[in-house]
Amino acid sequence: MIDWVKKYYSVLKMSWIQTLEYRANAVVGAFAILSGLLIEYLLLSEVFADEISSNSAIKSFASFNHLIIYIMLCMMVGQLKSSWHNSMMMIDEIRSGELNRYLIKPISYFSYNFMNFIGHNSLFYIVYFIMMSLVPVILGPGYAFNGIFQIIGFIMTLFISVFLSYATYFCMICFGFWFGEVRALIISYNVFNIFLSGQLIPISLFPDGLRQVVMNSPFRYMIDFPVSIATSSNFNIQYFLEGVLMQILWCIIMYLIGRIIYSFGIQQYEAFGA
Amino acid sequence: MRLLVLRYFKLWGAFFRNSLTREMEFKANFIAHIMVDLIYYSSLYLFYYVIFQFTDTIGSFTKETVIIFMIVTYMIDAVYEFFFSGNIYSFNQMIVKGNLDFILTKPINSQFLLSLRYIGFNGIISFSLLLTLLFFLTTNYPHHNIPSFNYVLFFISFIMGNIIWYSIDFIIHCLSFWFKNFSVAGWLGSNIKQFAMRPDTIYGGVLRKMLFSFFPMAMIASVPVRFLIYGFNGYLLLNQVVVCILFFSFARYVWISSLSKYESASS
Repeated sequence: MIDWVKKYYSVLKMSWIQTLEYRANAVVGAFAILSGLLIEYLLLSEVFADEISSNSAIKSFASFNHLIIYIMLCMMVGQLKSSWHNSMMMIDEIRSGELNRYLIKPISYFSYNFMNFIGHNSLFYIVYFIMMSLVPVILGPGYAFNGIFQIIGFIMTLFISVFLSYATYFCMICFGFWFGEVRALIISYNVFNIFLSGQLIPISLFPDGLRQVVMNSPFRYMIDFPVSIATSSNFNIQYFLEGVLMQILWCIIMYLIGRIIYSFGIQQYEAFGA
Repeated sequence: MRLLVLRYFKLWGAFFRNSLTREMEFKANFIAHIMVDLIYYSSLYLFYYVIFQFTDTIGSFTKETVIIFMIVTYMIDAVYEFFFSGNIYSFNQMIVKGNLDFILTKPINSQFLLSLRYIGFNGIISFSLLLTLLFFLTTNYPHHNIPSFNYVLFFISFIMGNIIWYSIDFIIHCLSFWFKNFSVAGWLGSNIKQFAMRPDTIYGGVLRKMLFSFFPMAMIASVPVRFLIYGFNGYLLLNQVVVCILFFSFARYVWISSLSKYESASS
């Protein structure tokens, strides 16, 4: 077990060192959140002008500011769980035959790339956690991280959602064994995920039918659930435990699907270009 | 001069034929890209569908105007995909690996070759569908009749909008010369483009002035839509012409000065 931890920790450390070479990513990441938030703020303040002037609630949000903080946190969590860079790298490895490097080593391709994924996003973790911690400082209490349970609950659910997201990406990447080029699938998933996970409009504002579909899908547990814990005014232990159980269940389902597709795919793999 | 322009048109024709041959080799990829476009369009449509459950207008833009605006933003995207995106997005890798040498040593304008070498054919399919949809929506526009002259203005403004976006994205990608490996150029470009993907009516104050001048994102899609729906506006037209010329010239200047930084990395 210790050897296993040491092995993957060294992968994590290596990708962390590589990531530090590309500090521009963190700057662009911060810009992405701030500019995206500014645009959504301006658009939604036009849409909810009446609610803002009367300082009234917007569906499940106590005020317009609560809605904006929710969207901001959704954007950040969305970025932290995004495995764009890693996915593209893995697709290339399958297509070009570079996957061979991993097959002859005592290493799991899934775990190796999961560590790479965490390491690659590590700069975003630092930048976004600083930005998140500024929310209560700038806006005052009542908007996010209203107690220690909300903070711990958010961190826990965030890490489970990162794993769930990675496992979902892994399932799609494994189709590369059959089709070679699956970038379009990843791009399509990313585009829909941005909308369906509530990064543009909170899920609670969706029309009833669409909301029901999203609430019963893994999308909800990737972004909406961790953010709803962070922004809750009172920590509801039952809601938290039920949500975590569902998150873990989705993780197991996606992980098993990924393993099955990978094990069939690796039999198809012909190491082209290797 | 006429011969030179003719030569470049002929060259682009050769690029077109070559890209078409390449594209037909990867038919599944071609279909997959059209699928991505459709998913992208439907997700943005869903976004505005949800928005319009809570309001009837966004600033002075009615629901119908916003849908036309949305179609125009897609069209800008499709044109960009057809002409430029496949070329500009590989820009950073060319600098990192030193492959830019192959562009610079050819006896033609390097910016032309770099920007237009490969053609994204899925863009033309999307564009044709969107153009048909736009024509249908504008001929059935419920608030007033749209005169033919507006279409002419829209056409001119639409081309200028594309040139402005090309210039901005090109300048962003030129940052690769300074940062050595600026792999996030595409991401930065798409974030900046988000300002153009929302109606200009949501912007006010200093930001609005910026978006109509030295950060001209409103000039890309909102201004063409204004010409199409509301007709001629001398100030807007002059503004767009000036911004278009300035940004294209600046992109040219940035390219020439960037080349002096190029160290031909791995060649």
